[in-house]
Parts: sequence; C-alpha cells; structure tokens
Amino acid sequence: MAQKAMPGTSPEGIRPTYMYKVVLLGSTSVGKSSLAYRYVKNDFKESLPTVGCSFFTQMLNLEVATVKFEIWDTAGQEKYHSVCHLYYRGAHAALLVYDIAKKETLNRAKLWLRDLEKEFLPDEIVIALVGNKTDLAAEREVTTEEGEEFARTKGLLFMETSAKSNYQVNDIFMAIAQELLQREQAKVSAPSPDGRSTVELGGSGVRTGCC
Amino acid sequence: EYEEKTGRAHRPLSPKQNVRKNLDFEPLSTTALILEDRPANLPAKPAEEAQKHRQQYEEMVVQAKKRELKEAQKRKKQLEERCKLEDSIGNAVLTWNNEILPNWETMCCSRKVRELWWQGIPPSVRGKVWSLAIGNELNITHELYDICLARAKEKWRSLSTGGAEVECEDAGFSAADREASLELIKLDISRTFPNLCIFQQGGPYHDTLHSILGAYTCYRPDVGYVQGMSFIAAVLILNLDTADAFIAFSNLLNKPCQMAFFRVDHGLMLTYFAAFEVFFEENLPKLFAHFKKNNLTPDIYLIDWIFTLYSKSLPLDLACRVWDVFCRDGEEFLFRTALGILKLFEDILTKMDFIHIAQFLTKLPEDLPSEEFFTSIAAIQMQSRNKKWAQVKKMLIFDNR
Repeated sequence: MAQKAMPGTSPEGIRPTYMYKVVLLGSTSVGKSSLAYRYVKNDFKESLPTVGCSFFTQMLNLEVATVKFEIWDTAGQEKYHSVCHLYYRGAHAALLVYDIAKKETLNRAKLWLRDLEKEFLPDEIVIALVGNKTDLAAEREVTTEEGEEFARTKGLLFMETSAKSNYQVNDIFMAIAQELLQREQAKVSAPSPDGRSTVELGGSGVRTGCC
Repeated sequence: EYEEKTGRAHRPLSPKQNVRKNLDFEPLSTTALILEDRPANLPAKPAEEAQKHRQQYEEMVVQAKKRELKEAQKRKKQLEERCKLEDSIGNAVLTWNNEILPNWETMCCSRKVRELWWQGIPPSVRGKVWSLAIGNELNITHELYDICLARAKEKWRSLSTGGAEVECEDAGFSAADREASLELIKLDISRTFPNLCIFQQGGPYHDTLHSILGAYTCYRPDVGYVQGMSFIAAVLILNLDTADAFIAFSNLLNKPCQMAFFRVDHGLMLTYFAAFEVFFEENLPKLFAHFKKNNLTPDIYLIDWIFTLYSKSLPLDLACRVWDVFCRDGEEFLFRTALGILKLFEDILTKMDFIHIAQFLTKLPEDLPSEEFFTSIAAIQMQSRNKKWAQVKKMLIFDNR
C-alpha cells in the first residue's frame, strides 16, 4: 500500500505518525467542500464553487498512532473531470460523496468508483461512500438501504452524513483512519515485498505532470 | 462612617474647579491631564512639593501638546495625501475621458497611456476601457445578445415545466448536458461573491448574471457553462451594462488562453503551465527548486487563478487592477501576476511543505498590501533568454506536436 509512514517521528518514540492523502470526489454541490470544512473547522458556511482543487489538513491523535490527513477537495463539475481525475493519484483514501436528495449524484459516485477501480488495486485505497445532506430528509431520493447495499457489494465503507447539521462527519473520517491503521497493522504482520521507502512523500510524490 | 463617606464625596469638588480655572495652558484633548490638589480633608502639600508637582505637571502638558501637534500634522498629511489621490483620480478620469478614449486607436499604445494604465483605471471609466481593450472580434451585437437570451429563457421555461425537448440547431450537445449546465448556473449564481449580496436571489444583479451565463450557453453550446465563469461575468457586470458585459464576456472567453482553459483542453493547459514554469525558474530559481522538490505543480494554484482571472482569490479591488493590466498586456500578465504573488510570499513559501503551500496559494491572505503586490509584479521579468512569453509558448506548442 502506498503509505507514507514515518515511524518514530513522534516525541514518545513509540507511537508512529502516518500521513494519508484523502481525496473528496463527487458531483458538484453535493457538499464536498462543506464536509471538509465541517471536519476541519467544525463549522458550516456556504462554500464557493471549487475551481480545480482546494486543500485541508487535519491531525488525529489516536491511541495507537498519530494520523495526519491531507485532504484534497476537488471540483465537482463534470467538465473538470479530465483535470481532476489525476488528483486522486497516490491517494490513500477516497470519499465518494453524493447528495441523498439527488439520485443522479449517486450514479456519478458510481462512475468515480469505476475510475478508482481502474487506477488502484482493492488493497491500495480505502474507499468510503458518503450520502450527504441528511438534513434534507424531506427531499430524499436515495434510501439509506440503497446506498448501504451498493457499498456492501463493492466493499466500501458507508455512512450518511450532514455537513450542515454536523451529523456523522467526524465519524466517517474516523472510520477511514481506523481502516487505514488496521491495514497498516496487517502490513506489519505480513510485510509486503516492495517495502516502500519511508521518506518518500507518497501522496504528492507519485503525481506525474499536471494535476 | 457613613457620614464621613458622603461628606468626602462632596467636598473635593470646589478645589478641582479652582485648579481648572487657574490653568491658562489646558491641553486640548479630552484625555487632558488635570492637576489635583489634595482633598480638603487631608493636610495640604508643603509649598515646595506643590511647586515641584506644578512644574512636573507643566512639563507633562507641554509633552502632551507636542504629541497632539504631531498627530494633527500627521492627520493633515493623510488628508492631503487623500486629497492628492482623489485629485489624481479626478485628473485621471479627465485624461481618460477627454484625451484617451476619444482617440483610442492612436493613443492606447502610447507610453504615457500605458503608464497611466498601470496605475489602475478609475472605476468610472474602467468598463469603457475594458470593452475597448478586449474588443469585439466576434462582432456580437446587442440584438444577438437578445436572441441568445430569448433562447435561453425558452429553455428555462421548458425545463421548469418539464416539457418536451426544445428543438434547436445546436444538436450534438446532449440535452442532459445542457440541462445540467442550466441547473448549475442557478446553483452557482448564489455562490458568486456571496459577501457582496447583489448576485443572490432577490439581489439587484441576480437576473443579469443569470441572463448573461444562460445566453452564453446558447451562444457557445460547445463550451457551455464551466464553473469559474460566473465570477468573470460578475466582475464585468459590476463595470458594464448587461449587453456590453455579454459582448466583453464572450470575447474575453474567446481568447486563446481562456478557450484552452474553459474547454478544459488538458494538453494545451499543460503547455501554458510549462511556459509559466520557464519564467518561474528564470525569475525565482530558489522557490522554483523548492516547489520541484515538493512536487508542487503549477496546476495546483494556477487553475483557480486563471479560470476566475483572480477574481475569486484576490480582494476585488486588486483583482480589478489585475484585470486592468490584463486587458493591456494580454494573457502573459495573468502568469506574471502569478509570479508576482509567488515573489511576494517567497520567504514564507520556501519554509512550507507541499500541503501547506497548496493550502496557502489556494486561499491567499485577505489583507494583501496592494502597493507591495504591484511592486512585486513589476519586478517580474517576462523575458527568458531573450525570449518573450509568446515565443516561449509557441516553441512549447511546437515541441508538443
């Protein structure tokens, strides 16, 4: 797995620090920027449309490790696809975000999944399907079961969230951190042959050329 | 005890008034220093001490007066500077209106005009200058705008009634695509300069912005609506009448650089980034090496800056001044501005890692100092080994083929 682990950088010496690139993908105005903003600043405001990509960082001090998230919040408009699809290169986790009140955004999330499956092996990336805007329950077009079922068949993490009312936003990022750490553990007990260098800045290092 | 307290409260009043009356050099400000005698219920100061205190007091008053004089002079100077600035804007307006605009063709390229142009175009003539500088290569008339707008309105109607497909000549662009575009325009309008509160639903320019973007998707269905456009249209609306804003908008987007970006022509965008990097390395070699080391490619920050012509990332008044010179110098100024920003923050940026640089550049500080900013841009040389921007770009395009 393309992890950039830097064990021993914490002052305690025992607790390792991991840096993970997390990319937010999904249709326009499903709430990608709002999810990132809620998670990092614990606040909600109307976001400007993202042009290109915007960036957030968040640090998690967990019992077993320190996790640093590099969050890449991508532009949602389909026309930006050719630019943005390269932004997920070298990602360790991806959030496929859809709007529970807009059916077609789930279809778009499924397309993103297809893209990711072409780029990554299943154990190379943690993917979560996120149904955002549960505050719009009255306008719901996608049932929880439908999202859940799709995530289950594809082996994705799944959660419904609301960036506006702060519902399960922390939880989904925490679930991703746990999953990433679990895979880290599994890797230690069965070391992979390629033994990626610990100094290489994986996330940005494997990016080639533009985007 | 109670009596004592209330008594004390009354008595000191008279000596205080006495002192005030006796002073012929009272300080001007309300925070004046007042020399108090001891309260009457305490023994008076010895004459010597009283004299000393009076002397100290006088010195303090003199100091205070000096300070106040200095501040008054400073205020006067600020006022003079403001008047001078207003005068120069007033003069500039006169020069633009009476000398330059009537003789545009002959004067627009003169050195004097170019210098005045760099100082920033006064807001009252800005729209006119932009219109003239952008030109109307596409020969769009007000009538054509009306036709495009009527067509857009028809589509909105059929969308909202969920009616049958509108037949039109721009076949080949899927109805779903167009529908998504129109839907997206609606969404983005409310997200365009939300702080200004004029483009939002119910705001004075909401419909204007809606109309221009809608008309454009009908005028150029091959380009359609791309996020970022709403900001460009909004800035134009702030400076021009609707139809003229549409003409400027369409012609602006028709420029090679804007076409490459808004059509998301990835190959051509890469060429622009590569040309940018040539000048980046030439002007800021240290920072360039730092960016390379951190794998920070120009797309990370340039996409937002170029797509919105800085109107989303810079304070609006600075963005307008960038537009001024962009209208004068063309696309190369957009890249020169980018280098100016990098130069201005070079010291901080060299200390940052990938993610922090990316974060910083995609969300620039809101209190950018305008004079320093333009000085920084002015210091950027758009010349690399005797080659100018256009030559470097041409070479790179040729190489790619």
